[in-house]
Amino acid sequence: MTRIACFHVPMFPLAARLRSEPELFSEALAIVEGNGNNAHVVAATRRARKKGIHAGLSLAQSRSIMPKLIARGRDAECERTAQEALLEVAETFSPRIEDASEGIVFVDISGTERHFPSEGELAAAAIRACDAIGLPARCGIASSKLAARIAAELPQSPTIVTRGGEAEFLAPLPLVRLSPQLETAATLHRWGLTSIGELAQLPESEVATRLGELGRELHYAARGIDPRPLIPRPLPPDFREGMDLEWPLVALDPFLFIANAALDRLAKRLEIQGFACRRLEMTLTLEPDGYDARAIDLPAPTRDVKTMLTLIRLDLEKKAPGAPVTGFTFVAMPDRPRRAQLSLFGPAALSPEKLATTIARLISMLGEERVGMPRTVDGNLPDRFAIAAYDPPPPPDISRPPRKSRGLVAARVFRPPIPIEVIRHEDEFVAIKSEGDISGPVRVSSGPWEAEEGWWRNAPNFREYWDVELEKGTYRIYQDEGWFADARYD
Amino acid sequence: MAAPARRLDTQVNFLRKLPQRPILVPDLPPVEPGERDEVRRLREGLEAAVRSKVMSATELVRALAKQHRADFLPTTLEPLDALLGGGLPRGKVVELAGRRSGGRFSIVLAALAAATSAGEAAVLVDLGDHLDPQIAEANGVDLRRLLWIRPEKMKDAVHAVEMIAATGFQLVILDAGLHPIRGRRVAEASWVRLARTAEAQGTAMLISTPYPMTGTASEIVLNAQRVRPKWLGSGKSPRVLAGMTIDVIVDKHRHLKEGRSARLEFMTIEAASR
Repeated sequence: MTRIACFHVPMFPLAARLRSEPELFSEALAIVEGNGNNAHVVAATRRARKKGIHAGLSLAQSRSIMPKLIARGRDAECERTAQEALLEVAETFSPRIEDASEGIVFVDISGTERHFPSEGELAAAAIRACDAIGLPARCGIASSKLAARIAAELPQSPTIVTRGGEAEFLAPLPLVRLSPQLETAATLHRWGLTSIGELAQLPESEVATRLGELGRELHYAARGIDPRPLIPRPLPPDFREGMDLEWPLVALDPFLFIANAALDRLAKRLEIQGFACRRLEMTLTLEPDGYDARAIDLPAPTRDVKTMLTLIRLDLEKKAPGAPVTGFTFVAMPDRPRRAQLSLFGPAALSPEKLATTIARLISMLGEERVGMPRTVDGNLPDRFAIAAYDPPPPPDISRPPRKSRGLVAARVFRPPIPIEVIRHEDEFVAIKSEGDISGPVRVSSGPWEAEEGWWRNAPNFREYWDVELEKGTYRIYQDEGWFADARYD
Repeated sequence: MAAPARRLDTQVNFLRKLPQRPILVPDLPPVEPGERDEVRRLREGLEAAVRSKVMSATELVRALAKQHRADFLPTTLEPLDALLGGGLPRGKVVELAGRRSGGRFSIVLAALAAATSAGEAAVLVDLGDHLDPQIAEANGVDLRRLLWIRPEKMKDAVHAVEMIAATGFQLVILDAGLHPIRGRRVAEASWVRLARTAEAQGTAMLISTPYPMTGTASEIVLNAQRVRPKWLGSGKSPRVLAGMTIDVIVDKHRHLKEGRSARLEFMTIEAASR
């Protein structure tokens, strides 16, 4: 059964403001929303509450009660960063979290039994972790989101609701905890219902007949039934690290020294989330103004800082920014690292991460078109090939013997073909000359073998091939606009 | 020198005068040889194909050590495998030298075909950019398992081989192309480093060069020589090239007598399809 923890920060706008301005903690502070006459209090510190300031009062009313009241407007940026910090704390407990905004986070804690001896310990650890980032949080744990949220809202924190005990837990609580609509709440009040348990005892069909679909849902909630699943937060689109430098850098090595630390932080953040970097985007701020943005695609997701740093070095060496650097930002596009199950009885499998790192380094050293998997290409002319990204299939589960070789002669292809001069007498090859070592009298020749490609085009490729044996080797030659040797049998 | 000697003598005498200390840790019990009951019961409950593979930890360690000592990656060219004692030795560097149609590239493709058809991942570091994927596939190379690296300089090629061998590939082939080799010659220390990497990873490493280069780093040096190409038909213009005959001679071997040779016959696709 799924177990859900709810981290709830009461009076979140106030908590977020006090996180940014902790010196106001002991002052009479009210957080207000709206401007002018519409400004009203949404939360207030304990000192202000003691004087009678509470949510809903207008600012004018509050000031009449307490003239020295400090008023602060709601700060969206402040609340956003506080919520982000709360989410990051939640992610240290479980990777499956739901952002319910306004200081509420649901955490799927199923499977964390080995990390914490009991759910109470987990809840206490969560409260401590939230306190450490300056957010006074409460924690409730139950088998449904609704029960977990109500448990977290109770003043005695942490509250643990036993598995299947949601209905019993909710029964003595007032109906207001279910947050019914005003009209429905008034109807229930007229019926004389005050607690959740009293509503749960009514027949479901009778409640649904009188209150409609909303009433049915409220009745479900009163019985502790909450069919809404936890909706995990979508993957963060990217991870950023950067720095504004105190003075501009002109040399590569000092920049790489600072970049190393930033990449290290980036790799650690990716590791916490179980991600690796698929694409690294780098933006350099240049002096006096301007930017240099570039992207490095990795052949496979990796968290290896050394590899990323090498790629950055090679990229900057290949094309320098052209001005002193005053700041930088690295954006890592996350992806799942590749994993492989190693076989006991099959051939040795390659570690995907190690392979990806090596291929990334090879590509950075030699170029993308020089590392990969060879591929055949349809056609008639022999000098055709393609190269694709190397992604080998997994090795077989059990070792198998190699297939017997066909013992075929291999041709060593010349790229590009070597121009030669051919001396013929009555259609017989007499000798071949070239600037290299493809020279000498022809001992034996056979041909021509005709090859044509693109016959449907105005100028199709048409060639005649011969095999010729010289003293120094056997070659494949062809006649196009001139004579060329394109392979040697070796 | 008298003073230090006297001091050393004093120290030795002091150690001799130390009282005998009681032994706190008893001797380890002898290791029981043979199969344990748990392993036997596990083995009996398995299918015949898997049964022979299941072994105790001791057996596994011994088998791996034996495999490490005497394991070969066959090229499936029978005369060559017989000459090498089973194939390319794992964890060693084999150099194959030979000039102009000496059959080096045919041997390279045969070794790649054997490794990839057995499910092993293999690498060809192709300095001369000579590989034709069509011909490789016709030779039986599983192109999906082949990593093709095309460096432009010998130094880059050696660096690539070292990096890729450390990744765990079981067969790494460096084909240095034709004479003259692109880029400057690499230092002998680089070949020694390659040999150490191959040994550490258990990689079978084949270096195909137009002339011997690896020096003392290689376990075996083979010399491939062309005997003559074969032609189907007669006269100065026969019908088709049928194949080549190659002699491979052992120039150096750490454990076998030098000078032994094997004759290899290679056919063209046209002759093979007849």
